[in-house]
Amino acid sequence: MTGYSVVGKGLPRIDGPEKVTGKAIFTVDVDLPGMLYGKILRSPHPHAKILNINTEAAERLPGVKAVLTGHDVADVRYAFVDTPRYPADEQPLAVDKVRYIGDEVAVVAAVSEAIAEEALSLIKVEYEILPAVFTPEEAIRPDAPLLHESQFTGTSAWEEWGAAKRVKDYRSESSLNNLSGRTFVAFGDVEQGFREADHVREDKFQTAATAHCAMEPHGAVASYEPVTGKLHLWLSTMGIFLKRYNLSRALKLPISRVRVRHSYVGGAFGGKIDVFPYEFCAAYLSMKLGRPVKIELDREEVFTTTRQRHPITIHIKTGVKKDGTIVAQDVKVIADNGGYRGSGPIVVFLCHGFSFPVYKVPNYRYEGLAVYTNNPIRGPQRGHGAPQIRYAIDSQLDLIARDLGLDPVAVLLKNIRHKGDVLPNGDRLNSCGLQECIEGTAAGINWSSKRWQFAAAQPLGRFRRGVGISLCAMFSGAMYYPFASAAMVKLHDDGSATLYTGTQEMGQGSYTTLAQVLAEELGIGLEDVRVVAGDTELTPVDLGSFLSGGALVTGNAVKLAAADARRQLLECAAEILGVGMEQLATRGKKVFVREDPQRSISFAQAIQASVFKRNGNPIIGTGSYKGYPETNRYPSLAKGKGLFTSAYGFAAQAAEVEVDTVTGRVRLLNAVTYHDCGFPLNKTIVEGQVQGCVSMGAGQALSEEIVLEKGQLFNPSFLTYRLPLAPDTPESLDKTANTLEPNGPFGAKEVGEGSVAGMLGAVANAVHDAIGVRINSLPITPEKVLRALEQKQKAVR
Amino acid sequence: MKRIITLVVNGEQREVAVEPDLTLLEVLREDLGLTGTKKACNQGECGACTVLLDGKPVSSCLVLAVRAHGKAVVTVEGLAENGRLHPLQEAFVTYGAVQCGFCTPGVLLVAKALLDTNPHPTAQEIEQAIAGNICRCTGYVKIIEAITAVAQNQNI
Amino acid sequence: MRLPKFQYLEPATLAETIPLLMEHQGRSKVIAGGTDLLVALKQRLHTPAYLISLSNLAALKGIREEDGMVTIGPLTTLEGVSAAPLIREKLPGLAQAAWEVGSPLLRPMATIGGNLCLDNRCRFYNQSLFWRSARQPCCKAGGKVCHVTNKENACFSTYSGDVAPVLIALQAEIKLVGSQGERILPLEQFYTGDGRRPNLIGGGEAELLTEIRIPLSSHTGCMYKKYRLRDSIDFPVVGVAVALRLDQPQGICREAKIVITGVGSRPVEATQAGEKLTGREMRPEFILAASETAAAEIHPVRTDQVGPSFKRHLVRVMVAEIIRELGGVDR
Repeated sequence: MTGYSVVGKGLPRIDGPEKVTGKAIFTVDVDLPGMLYGKILRSPHPHAKILNINTEAAERLPGVKAVLTGHDVADVRYAFVDTPRYPADEQPLAVDKVRYIGDEVAVVAAVSEAIAEEALSLIKVEYEILPAVFTPEEAIRPDAPLLHESQFTGTSAWEEWGAAKRVKDYRSESSLNNLSGRTFVAFGDVEQGFREADHVREDKFQTAATAHCAMEPHGAVASYEPVTGKLHLWLSTMGIFLKRYNLSRALKLPISRVRVRHSYVGGAFGGKIDVFPYEFCAAYLSMKLGRPVKIELDREEVFTTTRQRHPITIHIKTGVKKDGTIVAQDVKVIADNGGYRGSGPIVVFLCHGFSFPVYKVPNYRYEGLAVYTNNPIRGPQRGHGAPQIRYAIDSQLDLIARDLGLDPVAVLLKNIRHKGDVLPNGDRLNSCGLQECIEGTAAGINWSSKRWQFAAAQPLGRFRRGVGISLCAMFSGAMYYPFASAAMVKLHDDGSATLYTGTQEMGQGSYTTLAQVLAEELGIGLEDVRVVAGDTELTPVDLGSFLSGGALVTGNAVKLAAADARRQLLECAAEILGVGMEQLATRGKKVFVREDPQRSISFAQAIQASVFKRNGNPIIGTGSYKGYPETNRYPSLAKGKGLFTSAYGFAAQAAEVEVDTVTGRVRLLNAVTYHDCGFPLNKTIVEGQVQGCVSMGAGQALSEEIVLEKGQLFNPSFLTYRLPLAPDTPESLDKTANTLEPNGPFGAKEVGEGSVAGMLGAVANAVHDAIGVRINSLPITPEKVLRALEQKQKAVR
Repeated sequence: MKRIITLVVNGEQREVAVEPDLTLLEVLREDLGLTGTKKACNQGECGACTVLLDGKPVSSCLVLAVRAHGKAVVTVEGLAENGRLHPLQEAFVTYGAVQCGFCTPGVLLVAKALLDTNPHPTAQEIEQAIAGNICRCTGYVKIIEAITAVAQNQNI
Repeated sequence: MRLPKFQYLEPATLAETIPLLMEHQGRSKVIAGGTDLLVALKQRLHTPAYLISLSNLAALKGIREEDGMVTIGPLTTLEGVSAAPLIREKLPGLAQAAWEVGSPLLRPMATIGGNLCLDNRCRFYNQSLFWRSARQPCCKAGGKVCHVTNKENACFSTYSGDVAPVLIALQAEIKLVGSQGERILPLEQFYTGDGRRPNLIGGGEAELLTEIRIPLSSHTGCMYKKYRLRDSIDFPVVGVAVALRLDQPQGICREAKIVITGVGSRPVEATQAGEKLTGREMRPEFILAASETAAAEIHPVRTDQVGPSFKRHLVRVMVAEIIRELGGVDR
């Protein structure tokens, strides 16, 4: 569409050949001489005091090299959220008590995995069972047992980064028990808004805890060199620099003594960004023993202890005019974040952050509570709050449209934001393709002919079809310190280039798309670019591949680095050709004089000349970028103030389902997504991201659910946690709206997360369209469908 | 007690001394260094550890290594020949059927077994053949496209 | 999760196998395809001192037909059963059931005999050692109480094999060989209904399943339908097998066998439902009555993630569907 030769095309991934031949090394594949194996003993109780731990028998087992308990590392605290307001509440091994089933109690290092497993069975722990709470509603009551009674000690990471120290404990601001985070935002006058509304509706929606299901289990290999004092780590992670920072701090090692080394990550979806006890333990054991230590979690541990999506209850009250224009909205969410804070305060902030960019709501009030319970810990998962809040808001909007006899598509179009809008926090929508996305999606799903809402009568067969639509918004990286990225481009004598980036390839295709950005900016081919990444020692900083900042934040850093290299290249060429830089142009890896194209030199010649003439300097370009350049208005989790992101990705998604009214089974037949990603840097990769999101969203809408009873996870396996299989694949149409985000490299912004979120509401609304009845909780299982149909029949009688 | 087993792994005869409680997956990864075969669930529920055992795709985490004695094993490392990718490998790269790459080895082997016995499967047959392989990244769309392309001998 | 330590025994013949079963009775497990057993071992549901492998017993593999009887060796793989032309032609219901077990990666290893011997399952039992350590051992794991029902000394674990219902509906017989010689019994008698020891040999008895025989004359049509939450990997929520003997196409039913899996501690035959059909024409009202009766004859409990009333509903629907299809009755 534009004159680009590398970006925008669906070029094959550069990591493809390694991955299809089995040569790609993942953390679990790392094998070092003399390596020991670690295993973790976990709490079988949801809430208990540890009275005594006897490790003697385990220590005596031949082959066991060390056994650690909480007392060995009692002064260590860390967490994904570690701010003055919300200081770290996690410890690598439980010291005084355990707070969920799976909480880490002890770790063993042994010469084999089998011996380590056996040693665990020899550790005797005496517990005193404490009363436990399993729902946030119970947990906030005045008589509920407290999970974290004491003050959190130590200096938070943010204070170390320069944030002001807070003296008051946030818990003193509220009378609610077990609060782990709260966000409150209001603008306009919501009560007045409801008075002005023609129609007001209140609904309650409930989402389920879900699992990330990255196929690679979490693992860490740590290798400490006692002589040099250097710790080498291979981690299954989304952010090597964030991990390095947190682990060096926890291990009390200078940052320069910790190196996270390259290995591929077998999927993450948000589940590999928190610091985990197994990572700390592997490192600590290696430091203690002077030998490499590997800890690989088994699938049940991954399901139980490496975070889940927050189950959230969402109350919404919305007031609209007769024509569907929203005049007021009051949203209350309560999220269960489990035994530790995880990302609780973030998810309740993001439920606001992904709610308010989509519709113009003049009068708005939002309150989000994150609450401790004795359930497994919840953390970021693809979309992080967006699936929950988008499902609830767009389900309700569908209901409102029905109440008023309006077409939901028209209601969406009436309320959406547009390019140029400034959000209440000050974020400006420099690109916004919501309208184009809605129109494309509605056409793609054949909305007007398939929506039953307006048909006089639906045929009464066993199989009923229906369509639904929902929207989503997502940040492209966020404005919190130090969400920044730097990149380096080194040119070579043959005219090729190496990109040095701190990003981590976990399936999202970052190595390929960033190499494309470099190639385009510099004027070379993708085959001329090699990527060195995922290594804290070799690459400049990149905080991590989360909050969908990869394309925009890291992409801009790479583009700037490539531009810097190109400038130096032209400087050198200008010198050789004896003209001013401004007279030069490039094509086909050649620099030529614009007015006299015969006068040219190749990139290779220019680079060689630089080496000769500039004391061996081969041309190294650098660039750096942060989430929201040129500002210091960092977002506040508690008040929703400050700037959040410099570009919102948007999407509209529609689903066509077929409901078997006899067995209750819902099949997703068609899924249509129009994702406003600004500009697809790699068409194939963008489609792949959207298709992965659609599948995950469909699974979480219809079958995926972490089943807990009294804090115990009943389905910690791929047999019983039902994520989609190949036969569940719908017909899909995956398109992009190319709105060319001015802040993005070549116009690119978020694409990897948002499209999970719209699927939930689209499917729920489609089911309603098909069977004429609403199911207010996810997933929409056959049993729920049949129950809803039964109730509907009763109501008719 | 260890016993010596003989396997023909990717066409090469290998002898390994194994305890009876080792799975074929463990022997491939830990004794033979063939880490292309992945362990994702270890309970036969995901297909990441698929290898071809005498030509049939099986979950190697549920095969005792001693029971593979005398059998031919093909792992993902055995698909490319003489430095040339197998058409399925080629197609997986071209069609974007690979994202994180962790399920990829298993899916490739299942696809090979399918095309070896049924060179021109329908889309439904492809979906059914890979119904035991879980992929979280792709939503299966491009995997199905890639296998279809090879089955139809499309230019890849 | 590693496998526990065990001694591996690989007898060469049936004659060698039986004495080993005797010698190690109570501390051994027999391994055929291993697809269920290895998971159970990893979860430490069993820690046998010996694993007795049947892989060398070539005589226990294969399918043949003679004298109106199809004989299947129990070590025949499920893939082998579902793909065998003889089975597909003459016993399509069996082929279907074998094809629906587990996933395509399990069927080349899993055997039909192993499937018949499938241990009962329960959401409190089929879990790891760590998982189970969070509560008292359940009845099936050697404890006192059933966590599903809170009853003492009773186990409500569920049988969820796909193949047994079809074979029982087809009036198959099995041959068991032990130190006392061999015996032949109808397959339904193989199942005890006791969740702790759901079949005659699964508890480590010194007998071996050596043959499955299916009479071809018992029926004029047989079908198996499985309802599961996903089209692969999952065990059945409910599986229904029906074999009918009609005096002529769409004619009068002389015999009806309806057998259901996933709803009780054994494959459950809905005998009263079968009787409701016997002597009747294939008419909607009789079919409806039979399906209602079948739903009333089962007593599922919540041993997986699905509730009992949903299972009963599915049985009602599926029984009627199958009979209509077998009887050539339009809806």
